[in-house]
Amino acid sequence: MIKRLVFGSLCFLSLPLFGQVDTSLYQSLQIKEVTIREDAAGLSIDSKSAQLDLNISRTELKKAACCNLSESFETNPSIDVAFTDAVTGTKQIQLFGLAGKYAQIQVEMTPLVRGLLANSGLQFIPGTWVQGIQLTKGIGAVNHGPESMTGQINVELLKPEDLVDAAAAPDSEGRGDVLLNGYFNQGGRFEINEAYGVRLNKKWMISSLGHFSGRQRGTDVNGDGFLDNPLGYQVNGMLRARYFGQNGWEGLYTFHALEDVKQGGQMANAFAPGIGADQLWTSQIKQGRLAFTAKTGWVNPDLPEQSFGSIVQVYSHELGVQMGLPKGTAPSSLYSQLRGIQNGGMAQVLYYHGWGALVQTSALILQHDAYQVGLDRLELGNGRPWVENNVGLSTEWTYQTEERFTAVLGMRVDAHSIAGNQFSPRFHMRWEPWTSHTFRVVAGRGFRMAQPLLEEYGRLASQRFIRWEQYGQVLGGDLLSMESATNMGLSYSHPFMLNYMAGGIQADLHRTQFQRAVIHDFYTPGERSIYPVTIRDWPGSIPLQSISAGISINYNLNKRSELRMAYRYQDLKASYYSDDVNGNGLMTLPVPFVAPHRLMVHYSRSFKGGVVMDVTLQRYGKQAIPGIDPSIRPAIDYAPAFHLLSAQIRHEFKGGDLYIGMENALNVTQSNPIDGAVSPQTSQPLLPSDPYFQSHFDATRIWGPIFGRMLYLGTNIAL
Amino acid sequence: MKPVYALLFLVFSSVSVFAQKKVELRFNTDGVCGMCEKRIESALLDIDGVWTADWTIESHETWVVYNPKKVSELDLQRAVAAVGHDTPLVKAKDEDYAKVHACCKYRDEQVVKAHGG
Repeated sequence: MIKRLVFGSLCFLSLPLFGQVDTSLYQSLQIKEVTIREDAAGLSIDSKSAQLDLNISRTELKKAACCNLSESFETNPSIDVAFTDAVTGTKQIQLFGLAGKYAQIQVEMTPLVRGLLANSGLQFIPGTWVQGIQLTKGIGAVNHGPESMTGQINVELLKPEDLVDAAAAPDSEGRGDVLLNGYFNQGGRFEINEAYGVRLNKKWMISSLGHFSGRQRGTDVNGDGFLDNPLGYQVNGMLRARYFGQNGWEGLYTFHALEDVKQGGQMANAFAPGIGADQLWTSQIKQGRLAFTAKTGWVNPDLPEQSFGSIVQVYSHELGVQMGLPKGTAPSSLYSQLRGIQNGGMAQVLYYHGWGALVQTSALILQHDAYQVGLDRLELGNGRPWVENNVGLSTEWTYQTEERFTAVLGMRVDAHSIAGNQFSPRFHMRWEPWTSHTFRVVAGRGFRMAQPLLEEYGRLASQRFIRWEQYGQVLGGDLLSMESATNMGLSYSHPFMLNYMAGGIQADLHRTQFQRAVIHDFYTPGERSIYPVTIRDWPGSIPLQSISAGISINYNLNKRSELRMAYRYQDLKASYYSDDVNGNGLMTLPVPFVAPHRLMVHYSRSFKGGVVMDVTLQRYGKQAIPGIDPSIRPAIDYAPAFHLLSAQIRHEFKGGDLYIGMENALNVTQSNPIDGAVSPQTSQPLLPSDPYFQSHFDATRIWGPIFGRMLYLGTNIAL
Repeated sequence: MKPVYALLFLVFSSVSVFAQKKVELRFNTDGVCGMCEKRIESALLDIDGVWTADWTIESHETWVVYNPKKVSELDLQRAVAAVGHDTPLVKAKDEDYAKVHACCKYRDEQVVKAHGG
């Protein structure tokens, strides 16, 4: 029972080393206590945790059309998936309307979506590698790091024991010796994934995770001369080794390597013959990562209330971005180049000790990141290198009585080489005054270091002139690029049984208030300004704030069908510099690309013979976007509300499944996603040499789908 | 808003069974693990007239809610025995028991012991 407490179901109390969905430790001791069921609810709330934790299982991930982590949230009412831009092809997520970078996104408790990979890291986790996702709404646990402001997302990947044990029980669903996945869609994207595990001996298991995807065939559905999605490929692989030793020792060692290349922009065949590649606006983005992670854990066999764990990770990330016309072919305002290298590492030690109702978990984190950034863009100069070091010490006390009440008080101190000493207190409370009516309260602070230009490199695809005052504002590595926020939240959850069928209601209210924020200001046509707004410099201002309220209901209508409905309201405001002499120099305006009203209905039904159907309807309300009419100040425009409907039918058979689906079935598209791409008179694509293109080109105002209705086909096979 | 109506239609088509008559039944069923649970429950859920079913590992008890006009108590237990699990009214045939996975052999004392029982 105590071992289960350490590694098992009490998420908040567990040693956060091998992940909270990992119940396979000590499996031989635990067959009676813990059983993993693949057909368990796709989405479930951890009723015992002091945080509002939402667990997303592999079953749920199968409902997502494709392919990687950013898309796997498409059936989840808590997280919004924003739209790709045609240049980077990167989907972003939002939590409480705030960008994904304000949530702490981790892979098995190590950072991935951070620094140079803040923009695209989610794309480097193929959905088929994922064992489960744990989403915490509101500020996260203090021992995981300082960076969580809106929430925390931890992704657990398939571990060697998941793949080896699956081989031992071949009729456990969808698993076997070699797991293969293939996918192809109408937009020309293909994907092949692999997962394979071998038990070497009693102590060691190894496994491999592989991914190859790409797009070789370009499409231009809207006829603007630009590819709808970038061409390119991604090769991504992970080798893992697992050790279970004597006396409570265990280890997990992972090597990760990837390369991703994307080419977008104008297609030569959209223009008259004889137009060469050097006359077209094109983009090339190349990314790479090498990383090694070692995790070691120990549970005192004589005193299981004591355990210890360590994580060591070293990594190297590379980002190269080139956009515009080839250098020198002018106009130079259409050319940008960005080269970044981030070499770094982290080490973390965790210690857990329990005294009955009171448990203490402490952590020490050391982080090192060395950035080298080279720039080549007219108004930005040449870039520079910088180093960030951080030593963080944190501890957390959990007090739990009689399963009805849990309180967690956490404190962390970070000594950061640039941000200075930062203190982040956090508090979580769970109270169940009546059976199955649970209230939770959360409050706390987090901070992060922004790399404003690097984490939004897709926005370089524009003729907007970048305004900045100091390098720290645009590149990072300076106090000017530090962001900090406090988050407060209240939630209620209530599982119920009605007509013998299970259902649940949950409601939450969260306010995220920034003390310091780096603002990306697109509200002046032809310009993009990047500047910090802090409460210290602007007393009484709201640098950036999100107030978000949501309610969701799920109910199993009968043994074969489930209905989920969710509504979320999110009010996002930020302070923008204003030339209005009457104000204090700042204007509070809505943040662009966030729809305040969001609605989702999801219906799932299974049929005899292993056929499962999923239908999801989402409504995005009216959203603010940057305007392009220079006579209106501030230049705010609004994009219309729209619906997205997706459906999937999956046939499960022994040893695998086959699925077919449709995304954006209503064929909703944004007209003219790229400003300046086509002539307003003739509607023909324009070359970058055209003056209209040069004065209007802007691929950063995308608020909706570019590619319309899309059919896809995929299969999972266990050999 | 057409897609909303289509979705509502789907939803209501599955609610039409709300008004059906339902009876609860509990009976003992032999088994040892989570795989057994899944096998027992899906055997019952595949039957028309069964509203919901749950097998509890600790008590070895099957709980089933069904429409007695469509299916009888004996039919339910037959279905469970047909996938290899003994019930009070129907003992699983040896050939059906032989088909259950090695880790689910509840008639084998060694296996029961391995599961902590």
